Amino acid sequence: MSVLGKIFTWWDGATIGTLLNSWRTGEQVGTDAQGNRYFRARKTPAGTNERRWVLYAGANDASRVPPEWHGWLHGHFVDVPESLLPPAKIWEVEYTPNATGTLGAYRPQGALERGGRRAGASGDYESWTPDS
Amino acid sequence: MPKVTVDGQEIEVPAGATVLQACELAGKEIPRFCYHERLSIAGNCRMCLVEVKPGPPKPQASCALPAADGQEIRTDTPMVKTAREGVMEFLLINHPLDCPICDQGGECDLQDQSVAYGRGGSRYGRENKRAVTEKNMGPLIKTIMTRCIHCTRCVRFSEEIAGVDEIGALYRGEDMQITTYLERAATHELSANVIDLCPVGALTSRPYAFEARPWELKKTLSIDVSDAVGANIRLDSRGREVMRALPRINDDVNEEWLSDKGRYMVDGLTRRRLDKVWIRKSGKLAEASWDQAFKAIAAAKPGKNIAAIAGDLVDCETMFAAKALLGAMGSTLLEGRQTGMDYDVSNMAAVAFNSTFAGIETADAILIVGSHVRWEAALVNARLRKAVKHGAKVFVVGPEWETTYPATFLGEDVGVLGKLPKDVSDAFKGAERPAIILGGAALAKGALAPALAFADKFGLVNDGWNGFNVLHMAASRMGGLMLGYAQAGGIADIAAAKPKVLLSLGADEVDYSAFDGVLKVYIGHHGDKGAHAADIILPAASYAEKDGTYVNTEGRVQYAEKAVFAPGDAREDWTILRALADALGVSVGFDSFADLQGAMFAAVPALGEEGLADLGALPKGDAKAKADGVITYPIKDFYLTNPIARASAVMQQCSAELLHGDDLAEAAE
Amino acid sequence: MANRHTAPDTPELRARWGSFVFTEANIAKADKFIASYPEGRQKSAVMPLLDLAQRQVGEETDTQGWLPMPVIEYVAAYLDMPVIRVLEVATFYFMYNLVPVGKFHVQVCGTTPCMLRGSDELIAACKGRGMEKGKVSADGLWTLTEVECMGNCATAPMVQINDGNYEDLTVERLDAVLDALAAGGTPEEGTQEPGRHTSEPSGGPTTLKEMVTENHDYRGEW
Repeated sequence: MSVLGKIFTWWDGATIGTLLNSWRTGEQVGTDAQGNRYFRARKTPAGTNERRWVLYAGANDASRVPPEWHGWLHGHFVDVPESLLPPAKIWEVEYTPNATGTLGAYRPQGALERGGRRAGASGDYESWTPDS
Repeated sequence: MPKVTVDGQEIEVPAGATVLQACELAGKEIPRFCYHERLSIAGNCRMCLVEVKPGPPKPQASCALPAADGQEIRTDTPMVKTAREGVMEFLLINHPLDCPICDQGGECDLQDQSVAYGRGGSRYGRENKRAVTEKNMGPLIKTIMTRCIHCTRCVRFSEEIAGVDEIGALYRGEDMQITTYLERAATHELSANVIDLCPVGALTSRPYAFEARPWELKKTLSIDVSDAVGANIRLDSRGREVMRALPRINDDVNEEWLSDKGRYMVDGLTRRRLDKVWIRKSGKLAEASWDQAFKAIAAAKPGKNIAAIAGDLVDCETMFAAKALLGAMGSTLLEGRQTGMDYDVSNMAAVAFNSTFAGIETADAILIVGSHVRWEAALVNARLRKAVKHGAKVFVVGPEWETTYPATFLGEDVGVLGKLPKDVSDAFKGAERPAIILGGAALAKGALAPALAFADKFGLVNDGWNGFNVLHMAASRMGGLMLGYAQAGGIADIAAAKPKVLLSLGADEVDYSAFDGVLKVYIGHHGDKGAHAADIILPAASYAEKDGTYVNTEGRVQYAEKAVFAPGDAREDWTILRALADALGVSVGFDSFADLQGAMFAAVPALGEEGLADLGALPKGDAKAKADGVITYPIKDFYLTNPIARASAVMQQCSAELLHGDDLAEAAE
Repeated sequence: MANRHTAPDTPELRARWGSFVFTEANIAKADKFIASYPEGRQKSAVMPLLDLAQRQVGEETDTQGWLPMPVIEYVAAYLDMPVIRVLEVATFYFMYNLVPVGKFHVQVCGTTPCMLRGSDELIAACKGRGMEKGKVSADGLWTLTEVECMGNCATAPMVQINDGNYEDLTVERLDAVLDALAAGGTPEEGTQEPGRHTSEPSGGPTTLKEMVTENHDYRGEW
């Protein structure tokens, strides 16, 4: 990403301010399979919960956070997933972000985007062409 | 004339009337399932129970009880009420409660009558219901036999009206099942009428299955154009589509039946439709605009070299509009007999069905010449069957076909008309109401004059009776002849006149090779033979898409109404012809449909009056007239006789399965 | 009742019975039946003709006989009537068998009087001998059917086997009858109770006893 892009856009990855802040006040605790980096505040004022945040590798889409890191981010787990959760089972599928609004979104069978055909309705007719 | 008392009201009923009819005359509604006015009395549903005194102290089935003098009939007593509730409860023991998924829902006798005469609940709720397997009755009739209440109307219809013993009731009691023999398809031309007769949803329409509910349909009164009978129909449409056609009751024409073709060709209205203008450019049809088409026709500068051929399905208004256009151009080249027939039309009575359909039932000797009545006019065939049941003798000249009544075939040569076998002439000499029915095939062989001679010889016209009948096949034929769509030499005269422009009003049976080099303008609604041959195609409206007047083969003038709009760019025919008049720079004298009709009624007053037109007296026959030649029926396939039917998937399926099913099976082996 | 159905119309059935015609003797009989109705009403003879056809099929197959579809069609053609009308008659009456039966068609009456007198045991006994309702037994001899009242209530329980009625049955008596039939014998028809002749009161009259030997005037005793 170009420097200009970094300065003027906010939707891919962290902005310069966030990066600076993360470097200044936070420490990285881990990354997930997609390369998102997870941070927590170095100092936690008494009587408050620890601040935790994520810097996305790519689009800023909250659904890109996999469930195990989601739990950590929201304070469900005390420790990072690698040390807290059991290893992934072989039957677990890879986490995919929410595809709504993208080309990969789920389309029910018969949807026009999946090559479905509109059901016949009254008033439909088949017109004649000289070749028929 | 017995006098009976119905609920305290004394009325006189005709001799031979039943108690049920007496109650109806008194304005009392009697619920019924098995009883039907046009079928024999079965008395097996027991729904019509009433209390009758004198008689046994129990409810009586009124449909099967003759009304007798002095009877005191009650339809409003507690006994009658409980009896009806009891019968209804019995009927519903085994009837599935599947009204929500039943096509009969909304027009179901059982539904209506259980609301009106039934109990709120059943005492048989804990018993299992009977289930009956579905039966195959062909491509038109869908069966859900679990719903059957054993009224046997369908059995009686096919036996009595259709004359084809196909449907029967097998087994007995609770196990009774209605089926066709070995579950073969019902094949006769009136088979789908059992769908209307079925008081429940056991027999429903297969092509119409799960299409629409009766209350969401717009009902339009129309006339069937599939043959020249002019059956009264009701077109049920939703939005822009005709969903189904049902017969209307008209005792003079179709009673309450309709041929399968008239009923099921409506799905052809949504297929192969002409919905835009086409112009042939360097041998190939290309899409164009109305303006371009009109300019192209004007560019041909037809002057008075313009001719018109009317198809089989057009209405009188279209033909009159074309006639007015041609008249304004100075031409009278009009013809409607597409296949080239040239019989004499100087006397309209000689080309009409003078006995009327209701009258032919009373004939006692009938000679059919060159008409496959079952295919050319299935409803007339049902009338002939009634006549035979009353004792009429029927003789047929022409190739043999399967009659639904005893008939004697006299050979295939029309020449037999001049030298009838003795038993035939004896039968006609002894007959009080003799009749002849002349089909299109006979007219093509020039049998009109000998038939008129036959009429003279055997006194077919006597007081109150006219036994001379011509049975046409095209819905437009009589109207066309009344409007002058006939040349002395038939279509050959048109070809010989070498017009520059030929207007084809939905004419699809014409041999267009005789019109090479002529600008052929096809004004029609279906892409069929006519459209393929045309140079310019102007999309028009079918019978369902325009108001129109039709004259059936009896000379009965009937009006049809517009049910839906024509698809795409298609316009009503008369507007096209009106616009064409502007393009050609002439005035036709009408700017609205009302103007057009007014002008038409002024020109041919008979068309202005609904009902039988007065066609005058029959001409004298020429005793020396002779005709010969072997008759060949023009209809080769009952289900595919007109462009709409040919476009219809249902009719194609019927043709393939019912008429050529054996061929298919053989081919498969 | 509900298990009544026609035999499936298979090519094998057509091959076996497609050429069915009445024997000379049966033609004579059939024509005699037809002659007992007015001309043009030959259809009225459909029931005796179906019976005749069933019996002829029985002779040919050494069973009680049944009505294959081609045979029904033959009868329809013989009487010049639509097949469906003949089929309606054939399916309506239980005397016409629509599927093959064994040599002996054991029809046990199960209606109330017979049931009270022990028809359930008879059915159980029949089943015990290997019969099955509506099926032909493995040896081809037996077909069991439970029927409704045969009109022999005074001598209940009863069983009809082909054309013979066997009445006043117990399991032992029925066994005796069936054994005799299986052995090729012709057990006596009618009541199986020793000392009883027809349906007279069992064990002698209980009323009008004085009338047994002579004409007695009861009027004085009223």
